[in-house]
Amino acid sequence: MADSKGTKMQLIIDGKRTDGRGAEDLRDLRVEVGVIAEADGSSYVEWGGNKILCGIYGPRECIPRHDSSPYHALVKCRYMMSPFASLEEHGRMGPSRRSTELSKVIREVFENLIIAEKFPNTQINIYLDVLQANGGTRTASITAAAVALVNAGIPMKDMVSAVAVGKAGDVLVLDLNKSEDNFGQSDMPIAVSHRDKKLLLLQMDGLLTKEEIMEMVDMAERGCDKAHVVQADALKRFYERGEGESFKW
Amino acid sequence: MERRVVLPGEKIAEGRINAPNTFFGDNTTYAAVIGMVDDEGRYIPLENRYRAMVGDVVVGIVTDVRHAGYEVDLNLPEGGFIPTRDVRLTLQLGDFVICRVKSVSEVGDVDLGEVRRLPKGKIVDFPSAKVPRLIGKKSSMINLLKDYAGGDIMVGNNGYVWMSERCDMPLLLKAIKLVERKAHKSGLTDEVAAMLSKERGARPERAPEEGEQIQGEQYG
Repeated sequence: MADSKGTKMQLIIDGKRTDGRGAEDLRDLRVEVGVIAEADGSSYVEWGGNKILCGIYGPRECIPRHDSSPYHALVKCRYMMSPFASLEEHGRMGPSRRSTELSKVIREVFENLIIAEKFPNTQINIYLDVLQANGGTRTASITAAAVALVNAGIPMKDMVSAVAVGKAGDVLVLDLNKSEDNFGQSDMPIAVSHRDKKLLLLQMDGLLTKEEIMEMVDMAERGCDKAHVVQADALKRFYERGEGESFKW
Repeated sequence: MERRVVLPGEKIAEGRINAPNTFFGDNTTYAAVIGMVDDEGRYIPLENRYRAMVGDVVVGIVTDVRHAGYEVDLNLPEGGFIPTRDVRLTLQLGDFVICRVKSVSEVGDVDLGEVRRLPKGKIVDFPSAKVPRLIGKKSSMINLLKDYAGGDIMVGNNGYVWMSERCDMPLLLKAIKLVERKAHKSGLTDEVAAMLSKERGARPERAPEEGEQIQGEQYG
C-alpha cells in the first residue's frame, strides 16, 4: 500500500472502501445522449468523479487522403484530458505519452466493434474530452464512446462497457477511484462486449496471481453488465420519450 | 402496438432476415444500429448513416462545375457526380438538384442521372432513417405538409429536404422537427395535422403551382 514515493494510505477500513462502498459496488453512473447539436452522435458520462464528453463525427472524407483504405473506414480516436481535469499535472493540452496510449487502446476497442467495411475511403472520429478526472477515465471514456456511436447510427456488432478492477488493501475491488488507483496494489481496466463477452481491453499494473486475475475478470464482467444497464437505459430514454431536446447541464 | 428498443448486437430474429442495418451470425440476425422491433418482429432502425443505393431519389447541391460534369453534395462522405454527357441542362454552383442514383461503385462513388433542377428554395438536413415517416403512407404526410406550407417540398432518400421559397418556412420547420422527434410513434400524421390546424386552422386547398417549373427531363 505504498506508491513509488512511499506514501501510505489505508484503503480498506472495517470492510468498507474510502468512499464507503463495498468491494463490488460501482460508483454512481449517469449517462446522457445527444448533448452536442452539431455532432453526428454524442454523449456525456458522469461516473463517480469523472466527467466525460464524447462526440462522434463521420463516416466522413478521410484526411489525409493517402491514409484511407478502400476496404474499410478508419476509426480514429482522440482522448484528451483537460488542463483543469484534476489536481495533478495535466497543465498542458495536446498529445502526451499518456493520452496517446489511451487514444490507441480506446481506438482498438472500437475497431473490433464497428462494421467498418460498409464505409470505404472514410474515417470515423471519436473525440473524448475528460472534463474532470478521478480515476478510471479510460473505462468511462469507452462507456461514453459506445453510447455516442449508437447515437451516431454507426453500425456495430455489439455494445461495450468497461470497468476497472484492482487490488487495494489486499481486497479485490471493482471500479477503482483515484486513491485506490494511486495507492492500491494493482489496477486492471477491462472492457467487455455485452453479447459475446469478449475482452476488448485488458491492461494491468501491479502484481497479481493467476487465480486473482481469473476472479477479477469475472468481477469485471459483472460490473460491465451493471454499466450496460445504465447505458441502455439512457439510450431508451432518449429514443422512446424523445427527451433529446430537454437535456439540461 | 407493443414496440421495444433494440441496441446494436441485440437479437432480432432466428435465422436470416434480409434487412438493412442488420448482420447475421450463429443462425441469428442481430441489429447493427439502434432500432425498434414491433410485435410482428419487424425491425425499424432509429438512426443510421445514409448509404447510396441504385434507384434512390436524392436531393443535392452542386458544389463543383467541371468540364466532365458536376459534383453534387449528397450528405455522403464523398459527393455524387453528374456526367455532362448525360444531361442537357446547364447547372451552376449552388444549384439544387433532384436526381436518381444511377450507379454506386465498390468504394462508394455515386453517379447520378435523371437530373432535374429545383427552383429557388431552402434545403434542410433530416435523418435518413426517418425519411419514410416524413413521406408517410401513400405520401399522406408530405401532402399534408405541402398543403399547409403552400409550396412544393422534395424529400430525398439521402435526408436532404428541399422546400420551395413560397413555403411557410417557420411552420414547415416546426412540423419537420416534430416528425423527427416522434418518428417512432404511431399516429404521427394525425398528430402533425393537429399541430398544424392549431397553428393555422383548417387544411387549405393546395394552391396550384405557378411559375415554378422544374427544369430537366426524365430519362429511362
